[in-house]
Order: sequence, then structure tokens, then C-alpha cells
Amino acid sequence: MDSPHSDTTGSVLSSPSVSSSGVFSQKRADIHNNETTTRHVKRPSAVTFRDPESCDMVQGESNSNYSETQSMHAAEQSIERNGKKGSCYRCLEGNQFTEKEICIVCNAKYCCKCVLRAMGSMPEGRKCVTCIGKKINESRRASLGKCSRLLKQLLNELEVKQAMSSEKTCKANQLPPQLVLINGEPLNQYKLHVLQTCQNPPKKLKPGRYWYDKVSGFWGKEGDGPCLIITAQLNVGGRIKAKASNGNAKVLVNDREITRKELWMLQFAGVNCEGKPSFWLSADGSYQEEGQKNEKGPIWKKTRIKLFCALLSLPVPPNVANPAGEDVSQRTLEQQVLLKLLLVGYQKSGTSTIYKQAKILYNVPFSEDERQNIKLKIQCNLYGYLAILLEGRERFEEEVLLENRKLQFADGPGSSGGASQIDGKTKYSLSPRLKAFSEWLVQVMVSGNLEVIFPAATREYAPFIQKLWNDAAFQATYNRRHELQMLPRIATYFLERAVEISRTDYEPSDMDILYAEGTQSSNGLSSMEFSFPTRERESFIDGYQHDPLARYQLIRLHPSSLGASCKWVGMFEDINMVLFCVSLTDYDEFWLDSNGVLINKMVASKQLFETIVSHPTLEQKDFLLILNKADLLLEKMEEVPLTRCEWFHDFNPVISHHNNNLTASVAQRAFHYIAVKFKRYAREILKWDHNENSFINNEFSTTTVTEASTTS
Amino acid sequence: MPVAELKERHAAAIEAVNDLRERLKQRRQQLLDTDVAGYARSQGRSQVTFGPTDLVCCRTLQGHTGKVYSLDWTPERDRIVSASQDGRLIVWNAQTSQKTHAIKLPCAWVMTCAFSPTGQSVACGGLDSMCSIFNLNSATDRDGNLPVSVTLNGHKGYVSCCQYVPDEDIHIITSSGDQTCVLWDITTGLRTTVFGGEFQSGHTADVLSVSINGANSRVFVSGSCDGTARLWDTRVASRAMRTFQGHEGDVNTVKFFPDGNRFGTGSDDGTCRLFDIRNGHQLQVYYQQHSDKEVPLVTSIAFSISGRLLFAGYSNGDCYVWDTLLARVVLNLGSVQNSHENRISCLGLSADGSSLCTGSWDTNLKIWAFGGHRKVI
Repeated sequence: MDSPHSDTTGSVLSSPSVSSSGVFSQKRADIHNNETTTRHVKRPSAVTFRDPESCDMVQGESNSNYSETQSMHAAEQSIERNGKKGSCYRCLEGNQFTEKEICIVCNAKYCCKCVLRAMGSMPEGRKCVTCIGKKINESRRASLGKCSRLLKQLLNELEVKQAMSSEKTCKANQLPPQLVLINGEPLNQYKLHVLQTCQNPPKKLKPGRYWYDKVSGFWGKEGDGPCLIITAQLNVGGRIKAKASNGNAKVLVNDREITRKELWMLQFAGVNCEGKPSFWLSADGSYQEEGQKNEKGPIWKKTRIKLFCALLSLPVPPNVANPAGEDVSQRTLEQQVLLKLLLVGYQKSGTSTIYKQAKILYNVPFSEDERQNIKLKIQCNLYGYLAILLEGRERFEEEVLLENRKLQFADGPGSSGGASQIDGKTKYSLSPRLKAFSEWLVQVMVSGNLEVIFPAATREYAPFIQKLWNDAAFQATYNRRHELQMLPRIATYFLERAVEISRTDYEPSDMDILYAEGTQSSNGLSSMEFSFPTRERESFIDGYQHDPLARYQLIRLHPSSLGASCKWVGMFEDINMVLFCVSLTDYDEFWLDSNGVLINKMVASKQLFETIVSHPTLEQKDFLLILNKADLLLEKMEEVPLTRCEWFHDFNPVISHHNNNLTASVAQRAFHYIAVKFKRYAREILKWDHNENSFINNEFSTTTVTEASTTS
Repeated sequence: MPVAELKERHAAAIEAVNDLRERLKQRRQQLLDTDVAGYARSQGRSQVTFGPTDLVCCRTLQGHTGKVYSLDWTPERDRIVSASQDGRLIVWNAQTSQKTHAIKLPCAWVMTCAFSPTGQSVACGGLDSMCSIFNLNSATDRDGNLPVSVTLNGHKGYVSCCQYVPDEDIHIITSSGDQTCVLWDITTGLRTTVFGGEFQSGHTADVLSVSINGANSRVFVSGSCDGTARLWDTRVASRAMRTFQGHEGDVNTVKFFPDGNRFGTGSDDGTCRLFDIRNGHQLQVYYQQHSDKEVPLVTSIAFSISGRLLFAGYSNGDCYVWDTLLARVVLNLGSVQNSHENRISCLGLSADGSSLCTGSWDTNLKIWAFGGHRKVI
């Protein structure tokens, strides 16, 4: 809206002088066109053997651009028919009145007996087998996807539907974008898409030359008045010409000389059109006279104006519920799309916890089967923890006995303190019945048969658990549980409620499920669909606007099914984002790979990262790196330096000594260091020219970590 | 230090095995004075020739909305089951190109499917690490889905291939990403035998394909990401009967030769090879030189009924018909009119050998038939 001032004055000055001759030449071209077409209609069909009603073919000798575009596909349309007029093209039988189906490319007509033979399985709709892959006859575009009665009789409903949908959607039948010229500029595929998917697209778009007023959205055939108002401000076509609509009212609206009818409409709407002014008309109908500042009210204000427009067969703006056009159109597109997120990571990187969290967060219920399995797993784990404790108890008991014996030797025999210890009793000793149970449990665990005895064990041994838990010796061991290396951190959470969990009627809560170990190990892949619940939306502090209509699918792949060569990746080409999960505590842990070589788990994680990031199928995909278990990293850093992993050999943070929270800041730095390390590595292997491909989201990772880490 | 010593001895043993393997390879090379093509040429055998209409696409099976990953014919010749990434199995009537069943799968990431010998049920497997079996005669549930009749649970990695043991509906052999093959008893749903795995001498990487010997159903062959094919006897689980080296990439597909004494392989290195199971020799390499550097992978192979032709699908959408005797490409189904637009992922020959079905990532299946007067070879 800023540039026109200089050149519109020019166009205003020049328009009167040009107009007369311009109009004249334009008209002559029109007449010429009409002549050729009318002449052609009269032409006898004997020359081309084509049906009289399909004679929209324009002769090549006419020099206008329009006819050239027409003749491009006209060339492919000729097909010879040997039979008499009106007969079937294949069996040469029948007459004009027998029902026939027409090939949308070559206009060949086939009777009901021959249709299926001539058209085969119709991979591109109603086309002869020889025409498959060719562009359709533009005059038949309107009938795309509209099936005749003949076809419905021959095929069943599903087949008809399939043929019609492929007719509409297959590539060869789409409107060729270069044949649509807007303001003298041919479209390309992208611009055609923009045009067809805007809120008010031009209806029944055919190849040809059009003018489009970007400011107000007026749309028409070149040389004709406006016939539609489409969405304004689309970036298609070139600059509009003053003569686009062949108007002669000497009034310019948005650089276009309007037609007489439009002038009447403007006058009716109360616009002062004295003295051949130039106007700027915007999409909502408000207008400004050129060089003036004051904007005048929408011309569509009066209801009668629309009636008047209808009388003059001028377009009126479509009824729009939501005036913010672009947003709406984008949303409707997204609505149908399922956004797929692929969650992968190395062993024990916490992908299953993230998956379970997502399930709980987005209210996707666990199925009855899943709950039952998780319950069994939790109970099984509990017995495992108990066995570890009982094993520890034996050790503690021996230690105490040994100590006592030493004390006795030191004090000399017969001292007063020895009364209770002489019979071998310590505070870690169990009653004989419990002892038998404990020995059995430890034995089962050591032999690795814990899974086998379930679920029978829950019924039989639940009372034992209660007695065991209340036993003083067991409690004494429990208080020293931190000395037991085997016991996972999360065991405390379950052991505190051992009695409740060991009951047969125990139902795991969401928290229990989240904390449970190894619940997902049985199947190689799990997937869930979710959408952001509206309730959650308000409480989100990060300010993200989640589209409540968007559906997401989270697919978690179990590390064991990843395999060495990632043969499965080809199946995930339609993924929208890959979430790669890394456990930060992996840096000092080692793993035996398939060749029996000890490998650092962080390095293994890095190798997996490389194979996935550089896989051709996942090219151009978004990656989200999740660094998990950040709080555990903090604890671990105190004991083991980060440089334990050879990949992190150059981690050398500058430690400021006046900082109270020393380790925390180091851990924070280590976190960033690892993030940058991965990012740089990705850049190395991909040779990125743009960084946006992958981004590292610290916020997200730390928030998940706070909950996830404790389960590790 | 016993651990250090053990490690040392282990390394030495590995060294020795590799050395022996290398010597074996050299010795084989010495013994192998000719290959099939060389011998056939010296005998003056002439190449099979194909006219443009001898093998034509006569049906296009449309209906999948995702990439087709696998297909299988029934022995009684006119039905096909296909598995696609849209999460469906479709059972087709190849004569009429109608769909008789469309089975929605609980897990959409399916990699393989198979028809049972009696044609009563179909099996499929994929990334869910399970092999699911559907009885085609069972009633559909409320939503119109066919229920799973048996799930074979036990693999620790994806199920890459499955094939029913011929002549019985109760045994199936699967291959998996957990480096093993498993023979299942479908009636009980339990593993009968596990081939390979942790403590046995089996494949050292994901197993991608199995093929059961048509002449002796106790013998099957498997192809793996470790670049080898292995021959197994179903009665001997502990170790493979023979290991076939030679490929320089993952062996994507294996298929027994109709006479049961040879088998063919297709690999990521772009070659197909023919091996003899009796002497362990590689008989022939089928490789077409390409001008550009990208070597298309072999995704799937099938032999014609006589074994004279080898059909091989490639990742670039080509489908070569090889003359197995002279190792020449007779026809490329990827270059004829209305061929597939994307990678050919699977192919299979009908039981009577009269038609070939190809499945592709362009979501379609095509049936090619020997046209006109040409007799089936």
C-alpha cells in the first residue's frame, strides 16, 4: 500500500489515451477467438472422427496464448474410431442411445460390455488403459469423481468409491499449475496449492488466464468483470494490470480500471465517483481515495447493496464466521493430521518412564491387561527387593556374630554381656519359621526363578510378608538398606508399603506404575495416542499454546528391538519428530556388546544416536534430545568425575571457590557440556547448514527428570 | 589372573577361527574352477529371451494406504495375503482382484505375513516382537475386526520373517531381530525349538529371512545382518549345519531353489547369489553393473517353477528377471509401462508358477502373468 503513489499517477495520466486503442485491440482478439471457436463447432466431425460435443479444441494457428495452452493437451486427445457415429469405440456396436462411459483423456466411449476391458482396474479413474498417465481433457475436469450410472451397475460400491477417489487424487489428473495464469504469470505447484487451500478458493478452477486483485480479493477471467471474491493477500500471480478486467469506467480501484457495472455498484453504495478518482479498496470493504487519509466505511454495510450486486451479477464477499482467515485455514489442515513422535534411547535411558508419564499426564488409561501385568511385575519386584534385604540380613548377622566373638575374646570368657549372644542371637536374627521363608526366597532369587513362582506366590506368602515386615530383625536390616548396593533406590518407595502391595487385591496407583521397573520390557514397541487436554492448558506455565484439537501419537521402541543395523527405521518415515533419550548417569557405566567387548554406555548411546540421526529415512526430521536423570548426575559427579568417559575427556570446568553450592553448579555445567557435545556431534555427522533441525530443550528435559530420575 | 588369561585365550581362539575361515575361503576358491554361467556358456546353452508381451502386468491390487512390506500366496494358487504399514493385512483373490478379508492389526508396524498351507489362516509379525495368527474363518467382532486367534510370544526383537512348515498348519518358523529363529507349535503357542541365541553358534546379528526346503521340510535356511546365510536342521537346535559366507552386506532375503539342493540369497551389497547346500559352495553371483554409484539393495527374490528364472526386487524399483544359467538379466519389470513407482519390497510366485506378484512401497501390488502362448518355465 505504500508504493503505488508514484506510479498510479502515471497510470491515471496515461489511462485515457491508452484505453481506446487498448480496448479496441482487446476486443478484436476476443472476436477472433470467438470466430475460431464458432467456426470449429460448425466443422464437420468427419475430419477428426471426434464427437461433435467435444469440439472445444481450438485451432493451433490462432496466435493468442490462451489457445496455445489449450492445444497443449488437445494434441493428446485424438483417438480414431472406425465404427459409425454413436457406437462403442471398442466393439463398434450400439448407437447414440446406449449408455456409455467416456474416457476422461481421449473421450473414447465404451458400452457397458467393454468398459472394464478398456479401462482395466482404473488406477487413475476412468481412463482407457492406453491413456493412463496422460493429462485429462480439461473439459471433463468438472466431471472428475462424478460417477455415471453405468459404472455403479458394473462395480460394487467400494470399487466405485476407490476408482472415483483415485480419479480425483491421482497425480496425472491434477490441474497442471503452469496452465493457470494469474495477472499474466503462470503458477507453480506451491502457489496452486496456496490458491486451492485458502479459505475462499476460486471455485472450479480451470486452466486459463485470470486476474486477481490481491488487496481486495476480487477475481475474474482476464478481460471480464469480477466473478468472485476470494481470500485477499495471497501471494500468487504478478502485478495486476489496469486493463485486466477490460473496464472502461475510467475509475481505478486498486490499480484496475473497473467495469461499468462495478461503477454503478460503487455509486449505489454511496461512493463519490466524480472526477475519475482512484480508490484503494480493502478486503473488508473499507476504501480510501488515493492521496487521502480518511478511510471510509465498508461498502458492504448496507444490506441492499448485496441485492444490487446480485442484480448486476457482481460478486459479494463470502460470509465469514472468523475473519482471521489464515489461522483458521491452517488449523483445519492440522486437525486431520496425527503428529507422530518416536521415542528411542539406549538401554535404561528412561524411555519407558517417559512413556508412562505421558500416559498418566494425558489421561490415557492403562488397559486391564496392562494393569494386571504391571501389578504382577511390581509384586515380583517387591519380592526381589525383600530377597536382597534378607540376603543383607544374613551378612549383617554374620558380621555382628563375628564382632561379638571378637569382643568375647577381648573381654575374656564368662563376661556379663555375653548372655544373649552365646546362643547366637543378635538383633538381626529371625524366628525359625521366617528364617525358612527367607532362605527359600533368597534361593529362588539367586536361581533367577522369581517370575516363575508368580502369581501363586502372592496368595501363599502375603501373610509372611506382613510378619516379616513387623519383625524387629528385618526392620534393623531395613534401616541399614543404604549399605546394600544391589538394592535399587526406588525399592524404598515400594518397601514402605510392602504389606499393602503383597496383598492379592492390591491395585497399583498411577504413582506405583510410574515408579515400577521393567514394566515395558516384554514388548518391542508400544504406542499411544493423546491430545493435550484443555484443563491442562491453563496450568501450563511455559506459555506454549497447544492446539487442543491436534492428536499426537507417541511411539516407544524398546532398545532391544533397535538392533544393530536399524532395519526398522524405514517404517518410520512419516514420523514428525524423534525424541532421543540419553541417561546422563551412563558415563561411568559399561556394557558388554555383542562381540563381548566392554563398551561405555555413553559411547554406545552416542553410536545409536549417530545411526539414527544419520539414517536417510529420518533426514530432515526434527530431533529432540532429552538428557534424563539430571539429579542423579549431580550425586554421581561427587563420586566419579565426568572424565571417566573417554568422550568427555576435555570436560574441565572452571570452579569458582566462593560458590556455596559447588557441586550443583558443576553438575549444571556438566549437563550443558553434554548437551553441547551431542549437538556438536550431530552437526559433525550431518554437516548441517542450518541448526534448526535439532534443538536441545533444557526445560523439558529437566522437568521430566525431576520425576523420572527417582525410578532409575 | 584367570580372567586376563581367559581373555587372552579367547582372543587367540578368535584369531585361530578367523585364520581357519580365511584358509577355508582360499581353498574353496581354488576348488571352484568355474561358476554356473561359465559352464553353461561352455556347453553352448542359449539365453532365455523375453518379448515385450511375454510377462505383462495384468492386475494392480489397490487398497493399501501404506507401504506394502510383505506378501504370500496360498498353495491353492489364487489367493494372496499382503501386509502393509497402514496396519492391515489384506487377503486378495488374485483372479478377480477382490479383497476377501481386511484385517486390522493390533500393531501397525508389520514386517511379514504368511499364508498357512491349508489357506485357513494367516500369520504376521513385526515390531511388536510377536507373531499373530488369524483364522480367516472365525467370526468378526463388533467393530468388524477379525480377532487374533493365537499370539506367539517369546521373541526379544522384531519378527522379520515367518513361514509355515509345509503340509501342516501347526508349525511355523519365524526369524527375529534377537538373532534367533524359532520353530513354534501353534496349537500350544509355545516355542518348540530356538535356533541360535546367546550360548549357541548361531547368527551374530538380526536374522532377516527364512526359507524352508520344499523337498525336505526339516531343513531351512536363514539370512542375517551378519552377512551370512545358515542352514539349519529343525531337529538340531544347538548349531547351524552349515554357514555360507560371501555377501558383503546384510542378507535381506533367502529362498530355496525348487529342487531343494540349492538356495538363493539377496543382499544389501546389491548381489544375488546361488549356494549349494551339499558342498557349501557359492555357485553364482548375479550382479548388474550400475553406472551411478548408488548400488540398489536386493529386497526380495523368488525362483520360477523350474528354477531357470530368478526374480529379484531392488530398492530403486527395478525388478530384474535373471536367467539363472547364464547370469544375464532377461527383463526388467521396473522399466516396462505401468511398473511400480517405488521400492519393490516383496515378491512371490504362485504355486503353479504361472504368475508373479510384486509388492511395493508405492502401496500397490501387481500381478504379472506369462502372457499368450509362452509356456511357464
